[in-house]
Amino acid sequence: MVEAAASDAAGRNLGAVAEKPPRARRRWLPKFILALPSWFWYLSFFVVPLVLVTINSFGAKVKGSAGRVDLSNPSLDRYRDTLNGTYFDVLTKTLRISLIGTALCLLIGFPIAYWLAVRVPQRWRGVLLGLVIIPFWTNFLVRTLAWRIMLAPKGFLSNFLQSNSLRGSPIRVLDTASAVQIGVVYNYLPLMIFPVFVALDRLDPALREASKDLGANRIRTFFQVTLPLAAPGVVAGLLLVFIPLAGDYITAAVLGGAKGNMAGALVASQFLTAQNNALGSAVAVVLIISILLIIAASGIISISVRTILRRRRAVSLDPSPVAA
Amino acid sequence: MTVVARSAAPRKRKRDLVTLGLGAWSILVYIFLFLPITYVVIYSFTKSDSFLVWGGRSLKGYRLLFDNEQLKHSIGNSLKVAVGATVLSVILGGLAGIALARRGGKWTKPFMLLVFLILVTPEIVDAIGYLTWFIKLAEWWSPFRWLFREGLSPLFIGHSLFSSAVVTLIVRARMAGLDESLEEAAADLYAPPSTAFRQITLPLVAPALLAGGLLSFTFSLDNTIVSQFVSGPNSATFPVYVFSTLHSILRPDIGAAATLMFLVTLLALALVALVLRRAGDTGSEIATTITGVA
Repeated sequence: MVEAAASDAAGRNLGAVAEKPPRARRRWLPKFILALPSWFWYLSFFVVPLVLVTINSFGAKVKGSAGRVDLSNPSLDRYRDTLNGTYFDVLTKTLRISLIGTALCLLIGFPIAYWLAVRVPQRWRGVLLGLVIIPFWTNFLVRTLAWRIMLAPKGFLSNFLQSNSLRGSPIRVLDTASAVQIGVVYNYLPLMIFPVFVALDRLDPALREASKDLGANRIRTFFQVTLPLAAPGVVAGLLLVFIPLAGDYITAAVLGGAKGNMAGALVASQFLTAQNNALGSAVAVVLIISILLIIAASGIISISVRTILRRRRAVSLDPSPVAA
Repeated sequence: MTVVARSAAPRKRKRDLVTLGLGAWSILVYIFLFLPITYVVIYSFTKSDSFLVWGGRSLKGYRLLFDNEQLKHSIGNSLKVAVGATVLSVILGGLAGIALARRGGKWTKPFMLLVFLILVTPEIVDAIGYLTWFIKLAEWWSPFRWLFREGLSPLFIGHSLFSSAVVTLIVRARMAGLDESLEEAAADLYAPPSTAFRQITLPLVAPALLAGGLLSFTFSLDNTIVSQFVSGPNSATFPVYVFSTLHSILRPDIGAAATLMFLVTLLALALVALVLRRAGDTGSEIATTITGVA
């Protein structure tokens, strides 16, 4: 009897546990409760400021004020100012430097990411990847300044080229668009190497070997197996490089001299010097829209190219040719 | 038989031309990456009046740094802001990352969209947004003017936004790779949620928090654009100081300061790598965690 009662009690206890698992206690909390501080932070310090900037871009400068914006007659005049003449030239130049810089980062970064992920023994991979990071941990401004030392007419590169009779005269790269181009590639290259490395590192080597076993040569294996599988990493790298690069004006301010005006510098000078916040906001909005347009356009192009390639490569599974 | 021979051959050929070419290219890239920072370190010992001109060896830069109150103050500001922004980012991003991995739901998609937008917005746009918004807040809410326009607090806010998004992603990736059953076991053993969180969840995400924190710290030390816009009087950070002297003579103390700060970050980096190694990560995992591309 006693035993039966005890087992009965245990059973009821078990039943009680099964009916109301302890985990249920936290179910009444909304699921996003832990993310609530972030929601608050992002809404109040990201969404609201961006909305304000967009609203201000339709206003006009209050004459003589320190950056006040008159919103009584909203208009598109600031956008007209932005798309006229010099501003538009700076914008297209910025986008050109950004696109070339991103392409160069991919061309320079992909082989080293591939080497690290595929050819380097596991043992050395961490150390060698770590070495790519280290320059990234010196101050951005100061490592850009170092290029002023290296590219100076009497600097290392100039002397090196002259002593090897590769050039007759000192190089004059500083304070030109080429110096800015070199600087941005240097500053953003690690941001391309990391994501491409991760994508390639996760790729199962068996897939490449299977491709070779099926008779594909290396080039075909690379373009039909490795590259498509690494595509997410490449896309991440392209975005990580292109977007901050398009907004960067520090590199250009250090290396580009008077000719090194980038769109970001126009925004900054409207806010900090000319105190025309309405115009500065409009330039910023145009900059974001052009960045988004370029990303959308390259996305559409790459998707359609892939679709066309897939159609052309499609293998017919119709059994009749085999039977014949 | 032929098939077997063909599949074995390329695996054996380790030292072929392509591998050699890739290796050579990688060495060139390493030189490209390291040459400028080598120059920074060497030129911090220049004797001339400019950081950019070599005039023989001396400790002049370091002596000037020691006497330059303004520069020392800016370095102090930089370090304080970096610590503050890191703490904020780790708390915000850590909680959000755990929530994303463990309490996903309808809210996940809009939240991730927001995180993505924060990551892809150029810094200059954030910067003008802060300036516009902080001025408004200080006007509407004048007793709290100090929070948005004075001292280091606007910098804490400005530097933590991007970093907290990065920490969120790192923590989410770490948590997604971990088995939830440990936390469930704690709950089944009647651990109150707070205890389970402290004793199970927190130790599990610690490496991700550490890596995210280190990234936030260095992002903050590097930040020039947002700092330029939101720093009030007397709260210039090191990059803001350097940028303001850009058009006059750059003294060698800037190089000395950069070299010392580089050493500090290297030490921090080594420390984090050590902690991660003790947590059982491989070299590759450490590197990917530290770089935040988990």
